[in-house]
Amino acid sequence: MSDRQLADWRTQALQLENEVNKVVVGQQTPVRLITTSIFARGHVLLEGDVGVGKTTLLRAFTRGIGGGYQRIEGTIDLMPNDLVYHTYLGDDGRPHVSPGPLLSHGTNLSVFFFNEINRARPQVHSLLLRVMAERTLSAFNREHHFPHMLVFADRNQVEKEETFEIPSAARDRFMMEIPILVPNDADIMESLIFDTRFHDVDALVSHVSTDILQFDQLNQIAELIQSSVQASPTLRRYALDLWLATLTPAKYGIKIEGVDIKRLVLAGASPRGIAMMMRAARVNAWLNNRDAVVPEDIHAVFHETIAHRLVFSPIYEMRRSEIARELLNQLIRSITAP
Amino acid sequence: MTMKLSTIIVLSQLLLSSLSLAWAAEPAISKDDPPVEITESNPEREVGYHVGDVLQRTITLKVADTYHLLPTSLPLVGNQKKYRNKDQGIEIYSSKMSESHRGGFNIYTLVLNYQVFSSSIVAKPAALPPEFVKFAGNGKLFRVRIPSWSFRISPLAVYGSVKIEKDMSQLRGPLLLDDSVHRQALNTAIGVLSFSLLGLLYILGNRSWLPRMGGPFAKANRKVRKSSDDDHGIKSAISSLHQAFNQSSGQSVFTASEFISQKPGFSPIREEIEQFFLLSRAVFFDASTPSAIQDPPPIWLRKFSRRCRDCERGLK
Repeated sequence: MSDRQLADWRTQALQLENEVNKVVVGQQTPVRLITTSIFARGHVLLEGDVGVGKTTLLRAFTRGIGGGYQRIEGTIDLMPNDLVYHTYLGDDGRPHVSPGPLLSHGTNLSVFFFNEINRARPQVHSLLLRVMAERTLSAFNREHHFPHMLVFADRNQVEKEETFEIPSAARDRFMMEIPILVPNDADIMESLIFDTRFHDVDALVSHVSTDILQFDQLNQIAELIQSSVQASPTLRRYALDLWLATLTPAKYGIKIEGVDIKRLVLAGASPRGIAMMMRAARVNAWLNNRDAVVPEDIHAVFHETIAHRLVFSPIYEMRRSEIARELLNQLIRSITAP
Repeated sequence: MTMKLSTIIVLSQLLLSSLSLAWAAEPAISKDDPPVEITESNPEREVGYHVGDVLQRTITLKVADTYHLLPTSLPLVGNQKKYRNKDQGIEIYSSKMSESHRGGFNIYTLVLNYQVFSSSIVAKPAALPPEFVKFAGNGKLFRVRIPSWSFRISPLAVYGSVKIEKDMSQLRGPLLLDDSVHRQALNTAIGVLSFSLLGLLYILGNRSWLPRMGGPFAKANRKVRKSSDDDHGIKSAISSLHQAFNQSSGQSVFTASEFISQKPGFSPIREEIEQFFLLSRAVFFDASTPSAIQDPPPIWLRKFSRRCRDCERGLK
């Protein structure tokens, strides 16, 4: 029975991917990674320049997942209570309190989309820490639960004015940080300019079929995937070696030009981070119709699940993306399996 | 008294006449005697002999087969020749004759050993004495003289003080210092140096005696050949080959295409490399991975490692 369930859900997952790939072109890898996150039940942070399609991509997925959807824009004056409730004067001239974006759908909230998260203050990031980790919130003298909620967030790394760096604790809550780049295929670039269907985002996203997945069953199928896809002792050893290498890359002979490798890493990947990596690798194996994880599954999610968790010395933070990519590439090239 | 004197005179005359008769019986050496070819082989050095030394000379006498050597004329062992009625101190120690016949000639080989019984406080000349042998045949009897051979007898010890500047004999040659210890040390040093150079050559040659030997796949091939056929042996063989792939490309390799893009020399066995990675996946990660390998894995791995080694050596 579970095999059939897994096969059916795989078909739905691939259908969701196809639908999204139709409206967001040239982003097959990010689309696969977001699908992986959805089935690994992990939050996703998209990172990229302005206008590359981050928001469109997340909206397209949101439409396919179904369930309650809320979106909020990060601004410098956004406060935590803006996520929980808002107050207004009603027609009767008296003050009223309404549930905010987090509470408006109750337990049916499936996607909470935080646009430009790095524009929000650290107080807001702190609220998110709990919501993302525990999927609960205390408000109005009671505990609110969001068992099906996934947080999709995006940020623009280039612009630094009126932004706040997301603290490492908050970054660690995201299963993946996925870079979104402009596709380098000339045909795709041309169609993005001249094909008018890409100009109206609302109309474009409406082409994605709604409710392809049943959002309230995702937790159950995610558990089934995690328990069904096996990891051999050799693979466990390999994952462990990769983790240890993120903590002390110098011991593994890693060298990066212009970087003192012994002083580079202040903190490697966390146990939660490596566990999330393995969850994502299992989902990748399942999406590829395999019963066991192979090293390629880890490679497919390694950068996106680990890079944003590394804490570098402050002198290297400005070159973070470049150094993290080189470091993780070298780790994959250095660690052997078997 | 007169009687006695006359008797002595008569006796002496008789003795002299008998001696003269005896001398007259020895045939004289004449130019008309049949030719006898004499070949001598004498000791190599002419100096430095002491009392007790034995000198050997070999004489070959070649004569027409109508003549033969009379064995009774051979030098007698123990005989010591005199010169001017004085013992020379050279005695025949042993004598041996062999005979052969070739090409119408009788060939007599005479090996004579002489022993020195003379000594002196200074070097003195001496000679192996001439010998006479007789031949008979064709109604003839004739003598042949084997020539003498001169040498010097040295004293056993130097007598008195010696000034080396006044004793520069050409025959002795220069005095040499004993260099055997230094020579031995030199030989040892040369041996150590040669061994070190060979070792250095081996290290500089990337631990191989010939170019393209001792590469990662050659090492892996040796390990795979020795691995057992059980599960542990298969895992060990695959691990060895993975190590070879990683070492050869300088990084961890997970797919055939990744490796061949770096090492195009292996493209003739692309299919086998793909099969290897599938086999590795099945053994280490996912037992359900399909495999197209027909042979039992240990046999296939041995063939595959050999193919990889050949590609490494440039043999397609």
